[in-house]
Amino acid sequence: MVAYIVRRLLLAVLTVWAISVLSFAIIHLPPGDYVTSYIASMSASGSAVSEGEAIAMREQLGLDQPITIQYAKWMGLMLQGNFGMAMEWGRPVSDVIGDRMSLTVVISVAAIIFTWAVALPIGIYSAVYRYSILDYAFTFIGFIGLAIPGFMLALIVMYIGFAYFGANVGGLFSPDYAEAPWSWARVWDLTLHLPIPAIVLGISGTAQLIRIMRSNLLDELRKPYVMTARARGLPEYRVILKYPVRVALNPFVSTIGYLLPYVVSGSIIVSLVLSLPTVGPLLLKALIAQDMFLAGTIVLLLGVLTVVGTFISDLLLMWVDPRIRLGQQ
Amino acid sequence: MKLMRAVRVLASLGLAGAFAMGSVGAAAQTAAPAGAPKIGSSLIGKLQGPEIIRDAKAFPKTFKEAPTLAALVKDGKLPAVDKRLPEPSQLFVVKPLDQIGKYGGNWRRAFTGPADHENGNRIVSADKILTFDYTGTRIMPSLARDWKVSDDGKTTTIYLRKGAKWSDGKPLTADDFIFWYEDIYLNKNIVPTPFFEFQIDGKPGTMRKIDDYTVAFEFAEPYAFFVYQLAGSTAIGAGLATRGAFQNWGGAYAPAHYLKQFLPKYSSEEAANKKAKDLGFDNWVSLLRNRYSWALNPELPVMTPWKTVSPINTPTWAMERNPYFWGVDTAGNQLPYIDRITMSLAENAEVANLRAIAGEYDIQERHMHLSKLPVFLENQKKGNYTVKLDPGLNGADVALHVGMAYDADPEIGKLLRNKDFRHALALGIDRDQLNEAFWLGVGTAGSVAPAPDSVYSPGAEWNKKWGVLDLRQSNELLDKVGLTKKDPEGYRLRPDGKGRVRLEMVTVGGQFVPYTQVGEMIKQQWKKIGIDVDIKELERNLAFTRDNNNENQIITWANDGSEVLFLFPRHALPVDAAEAHMGIAFARWYASKGQSGKKPDDPEMLRAFDLFRSAFGMKEEDRVKAGKELWKIIVEQTWSIGTVGQSPAFMGVRIVKNNMGNVPDRQTNAQHVRTPYSSQPITFYFK
Repeated sequence: MVAYIVRRLLLAVLTVWAISVLSFAIIHLPPGDYVTSYIASMSASGSAVSEGEAIAMREQLGLDQPITIQYAKWMGLMLQGNFGMAMEWGRPVSDVIGDRMSLTVVISVAAIIFTWAVALPIGIYSAVYRYSILDYAFTFIGFIGLAIPGFMLALIVMYIGFAYFGANVGGLFSPDYAEAPWSWARVWDLTLHLPIPAIVLGISGTAQLIRIMRSNLLDELRKPYVMTARARGLPEYRVILKYPVRVALNPFVSTIGYLLPYVVSGSIIVSLVLSLPTVGPLLLKALIAQDMFLAGTIVLLLGVLTVVGTFISDLLLMWVDPRIRLGQQ
Repeated sequence: MKLMRAVRVLASLGLAGAFAMGSVGAAAQTAAPAGAPKIGSSLIGKLQGPEIIRDAKAFPKTFKEAPTLAALVKDGKLPAVDKRLPEPSQLFVVKPLDQIGKYGGNWRRAFTGPADHENGNRIVSADKILTFDYTGTRIMPSLARDWKVSDDGKTTTIYLRKGAKWSDGKPLTADDFIFWYEDIYLNKNIVPTPFFEFQIDGKPGTMRKIDDYTVAFEFAEPYAFFVYQLAGSTAIGAGLATRGAFQNWGGAYAPAHYLKQFLPKYSSEEAANKKAKDLGFDNWVSLLRNRYSWALNPELPVMTPWKTVSPINTPTWAMERNPYFWGVDTAGNQLPYIDRITMSLAENAEVANLRAIAGEYDIQERHMHLSKLPVFLENQKKGNYTVKLDPGLNGADVALHVGMAYDADPEIGKLLRNKDFRHALALGIDRDQLNEAFWLGVGTAGSVAPAPDSVYSPGAEWNKKWGVLDLRQSNELLDKVGLTKKDPEGYRLRPDGKGRVRLEMVTVGGQFVPYTQVGEMIKQQWKKIGIDVDIKELERNLAFTRDNNNENQIITWANDGSEVLFLFPRHALPVDAAEAHMGIAFARWYASKGQSGKKPDDPEMLRAFDLFRSAFGMKEEDRVKAGKELWKIIVEQTWSIGTVGQSPAFMGVRIVKNNMGNVPDRQTNAQHVRTPYSSQPITFYFK
């Protein structure tokens, strides 16, 4: 058991190192560098950077050095707990990401709560009352939820909100509260703005989970132990919730590995469309601008979180499912 | 990365698609009956603007201030208004467009993130040394109250406003200029190569303090044009706020009393670096770069009318009035009228457009798309705003820049360098069709030459030269070039027998103008002259990088800024190695005076280079003549093929709430006047 955990930990460290090399390499794959991208973006908005200024920028940002040296510099900084400067933002990377982290987590957690709160009961209902009218209805809605891309839904919701309800377009706060200090009124404002992004972000996951829950539970319901439990006269709700549902929950637990990075990045495109101040659009813009320290750190962070998440879900599975726990021994 | 790109393409398709659906519906409703005036023509008003008063006799003698500041004065937290303003004879006095305004209000706008600093820079550009009047033609004082160019053109002297103060109340003097020159500009750790604008013929200029309020810029050769560099949007003249936000050290002056603490010269290398490390920066230069930007650093003393209170790297970029701003209106009210500017973050331009339609912005011209004009118009009443269009002065919003140094396929390279071939391509484009389809008819079809009323325009006939549809002449020219054989589908064959003449046109997606769609329409049009072209949409950065390797045969890009040829030549001539779509190799050759790059074979290009180089030392009159001559060469040689321009596509669709006062019907939309600065946003007010 301990050896298993230690082995997993060592592998995790190695994986994280590999991710750091990969993420740095990925950012250097496209042609040009931060300065070319900066010149192009200034030109696109009718402004100019001169050749002398470009040379100065390259030198100061260390972009004129070979990629191996740049990587070594980045690694050296990171070992000191410094993730470098976000070039476009003119601030340390940790500050830039830190600013957006709290709101990102709030939105993502809201989306996850929505997903689970809707998916679990519906999934159980659909399995138990298979081929009932409501099961068909949920299945129908579920497939629509799966089929519509999130950004499309976001656009439609946003347009309807604007055209028919006079809602604010995008964002997490109304203009009055956008820069107000935190207060109960501002929290309430955030709460009012939260459902739309949470639902849009959560809907496709919900549909998916309903399907998974339904099919897993159906598999379990057919098994003899369920029949035995019924024959023994257990109340129906206990028959279902206590045993088959617990087994059917396994896939939920194993998705936690992917949940952690998701909580941090949010969905990039949906956040972009809804203009949410989360880490997702930050990553996208950093990649476009070839802001290598910022993009590299976010990609690395997501990688690390996936590794950590997978690790946690392995442990959780061991805890939840005696078969795995006992199988190890 | 591929995945990312695919994701982005998908995203942009989705966004554009959904809104296009809305637009088409709206267009159908508002479409005018045939023969009626074009949708946009009634929206282009008369060019208007506030006047900068230069006669000190007309200056006001008593002064008033905003109620918020008066309260601070009463509490003893701020000196009285006449103590904050410069001496009465030294004021910056503006006559508002319509009337004296009222104090107060919060101007709401959109911005798209920390790279969008020009959004604010262009509003607060009053801290430029000199500027242009609202027509964009005459030089006007701004930070400096006056200037003088010596008879030999070698010295340009500027006179500062006595008593003008930084936003923290410290006086602005010639020492702030010398500090910038000696401690920032001449420090090789900060500025490794001298600015192009601050040298003539490769010889760097110098700066000298005459007295506390007089500064001279001196050059080894005549450089009469330097005064335009001070007035234009250049590294030397665009002001501390703008160049600081670019993080590029320009601006020609800086607050010495504040910035000295970050320089090793005034402490030590170790102390300066330690300070930087403590704040999370790599070294003192990167800390200084951050502290130098008004958009990032609210503590930086500035000379701008508003100063940042919530920096640009947060979800709201907010500015408040600078209590020490050195300008007043003709009634003696200290400017600006508006208390505060709040820009809220739109993660993408579509959201900004939708919010503008909802009436959430007070004045917004940046990021507003011409393609959404019908939707803007449809919602005017509901959003309580008016749409105003500001056409640009440049000849082409989509110019087909020909890669004159392209050589990857020598046969194609040879064709591209053949003037007749370029003329044939230019004559094969139906610009009216493009104008109707993508500019809603509000653009002007023609060559790359600037608007006929701009300074260097060689005359209206040059806007049409090689800028009309003439299939007969086009086909004749192609036959003359030797492309006489055609394949069964009617496309002309290469002389070397390797199949069709197949050009490649690089377009960039997601810009103000739909380059790719325009390219696709031109592809259809060129079918009639038997020329096949592949439209290749590339990510912007990739397109520019290919430019830098001379790999693009043709790239579509605007020629904005080219109307002020000598201030911003890069979209008209390949002379600037930072961006040269018509052959970076030639630009490097020009900029290095033959040390690197490649010498052009084209004698006309060499003639243009010589004329261009010599113009900087010429007197006004000769330079204008040279500019006109240059435009004749550029149009005749057609190194760039013009399509449709002089349109509002480039930041010229302005959404103005109906309660805003002193806002011109039409403003000059150009880079050198720093639109909207030339309309003096300090005089805008809430009615």
